[in-house]
Amino acid sequence: MTPFLQATVYGLLQGGLLALVAVGFSLVWGVMNVVNLAHGALAITGAYFSWQLHESLGLDPVLSLVVVLPVMFMVGYVIQRGLINLVVNAPIWMTLLLTFGLEALIVNGLLLAFTGDFRSTRTGYSTNTLALGGVRIPYARLIAFGLSLLLTVALVLFIRNTKMGLAIRATGMDRTAARLMGMNVRHVYAVTFGTATALAAAAGSMIGLVGTFTPVVAGGYTLQSFVIAVLGGLGNMWGALAGGLVLGLATAWGALYLSGTLVNAIAFGILVLVLIVRPSGLLGKPYYEARAEA
Amino acid sequence: MAATSARPGMPESESESAHPELGAPTTGPPKAAPAGRTTASQLAGWALVLGLLVICLLAPKLFIPSFLRTLSAVFMFATLAQAWNIIGGFTGYPSFGNVVFFGLGGYTIAVLMARSHWSFWPALVVAVVLGAAYAMLIGIPTLRLKGHYFAIATLGVAEGTREIVLNVPKVTGGGAGITVPAVGPSATTSYPGNTGFLYYFLALLVVAMLAVYAIARSRFGFALRAINQDEDAAAAAGINTTRMKIAAFMVSGAITAAAGSIYAFQQVSIYPDRLFSVDITVLMVIMAVIGGSGTVIGPLVGGVGLQFLSEYLRQNFTDYHTFIFGAIIIVAVVLLPEGAVRFASETVRQRRLPIMDNLRRYRL
Repeated sequence: MTPFLQATVYGLLQGGLLALVAVGFSLVWGVMNVVNLAHGALAITGAYFSWQLHESLGLDPVLSLVVVLPVMFMVGYVIQRGLINLVVNAPIWMTLLLTFGLEALIVNGLLLAFTGDFRSTRTGYSTNTLALGGVRIPYARLIAFGLSLLLTVALVLFIRNTKMGLAIRATGMDRTAARLMGMNVRHVYAVTFGTATALAAAAGSMIGLVGTFTPVVAGGYTLQSFVIAVLGGLGNMWGALAGGLVLGLATAWGALYLSGTLVNAIAFGILVLVLIVRPSGLLGKPYYEARAEA
Repeated sequence: MAATSARPGMPESESESAHPELGAPTTGPPKAAPAGRTTASQLAGWALVLGLLVICLLAPKLFIPSFLRTLSAVFMFATLAQAWNIIGGFTGYPSFGNVVFFGLGGYTIAVLMARSHWSFWPALVVAVVLGAAYAMLIGIPTLRLKGHYFAIATLGVAEGTREIVLNVPKVTGGGAGITVPAVGPSATTSYPGNTGFLYYFLALLVVAMLAVYAIARSRFGFALRAINQDEDAAAAAGINTTRMKIAAFMVSGAITAAAGSIYAFQQVSIYPDRLFSVDITVLMVIMAVIGGSGTVIGPLVGGVGLQFLSEYLRQNFTDYHTFIFGAIIIVAVVLLPEGAVRFASETVRQRRLPIMDNLRRYRL
């Protein structure tokens, strides 16, 4: 029973963190119909950013978010405003190619700057664990999980209760109408992408806190974001959280009962199945499908 | 060449509003669709093709062996881009999992030659048939999806298939890979060497070019373009869209599987991570798009150009080559979204460089 409980707890904690990786990806896809293949690379950029701050200034990864979040927001804003906005109206594979090029650029830039060595942000509490009835939970994992939930809820509140959040939702539903209402869609798109980038970078900081990373794993996080976004329904924040937990659990249980190498096959199996059976996701419906214009 | 009139790859809704004349493409007589008249430029084009073919056939006498290997890779990627062009360019279904046929073909060859001691040619036939059959199998569910959903479903299928190949080590050798018996007493077909593989890949490229040329001028190709522009209108006009889409995917899969087969024999040792690499899919898409997807010669131009460029960067900027390649992709997507072929024909037609036009068309 204990291995099962341990796997379940681990799966849920990992799922919460994956949800934070994916929530921005889902937002960008849902609002702009852009599948951002560089999303994982941006998350890993955040991981290196946080790691570097810890190495040179001794800043705790959680505290370093005060710097990482705004800086990565600006980075995302500039990428959208200066680059992705240029091809938003092009056929969909254009944005896929553009973001793939961006991914190659970022990943190789990181490889050149930091080499491919596995890094990890080691803090004072890295090795401490909480023992709960035979289940061991590292404090770092708890912190990462709590922060992931906090940021996801903050995003939901931002989208729901602020004027900019309303603008993002409106633009996602009908861009032309949003423009006619006097919204600056270029700015709204850039804010959306900046928010997604900042959240991905925050997730990256947490990835560094709970485990190891290297530039090469970026693609894996993008693929997991795919699965989660599709599971949860595009642009649906709670859906991303649910999708993350489902994927985390499925992966943890799969690793427990099946060969560890089959885990990805299961994830992709779930993905293809959901796409075919219920493309609108487990919860809710995607913004973009509900658009009046495209 | 052909297909400059149709512009596949427009966003679905815009093709209706911005191009009303293309809105109902199925109403005209199909035979009159692609350019049928022979012009001086077409004759020049054919002469150029023949000249290049002769140079390629004489290549083993003209160039050093390492360049022959580069040339083989160039032919292979041009073939792959052309195969993608059928489903992605003409039909408008951007498959991001086409590498699955490449890997499947390669593994069919390797398993049949290494485990069952088949010789290369019958194994190649099986690989091609399997490629087409697998395309049908995954096409039936996934071709119901559109846009990103199709792209990602095919990507998922490719990654999932790789995981399966990885997890049946008794047949495929798992992550350690499998080795085709190429030399010694266990070799079933003698290893053709650089020259042999150059000719194999060249022959396959010619087959792929002719196939797409024939498709572009046929009723079938016309149906595919109609599906690309407006699937509902195409269905309303009497096209069996499901059957056409699956047929296009099968042709694409068969050609890709053939390329994978020859590649596996050439490499001798193959691994799932190499043969099912997402990067190969992305290269196919990029080459087709940058050359001009939905045109006959675009993928050839893109494949040849980008593969030579990639090879040049690899040799001269070893550390930075992927970095530079990423930057080139970004610039090319922003400036040449319609592809080099259409860009060139527009330049000739308008007698100016229409660089900003593409940017204006797609930016927000």
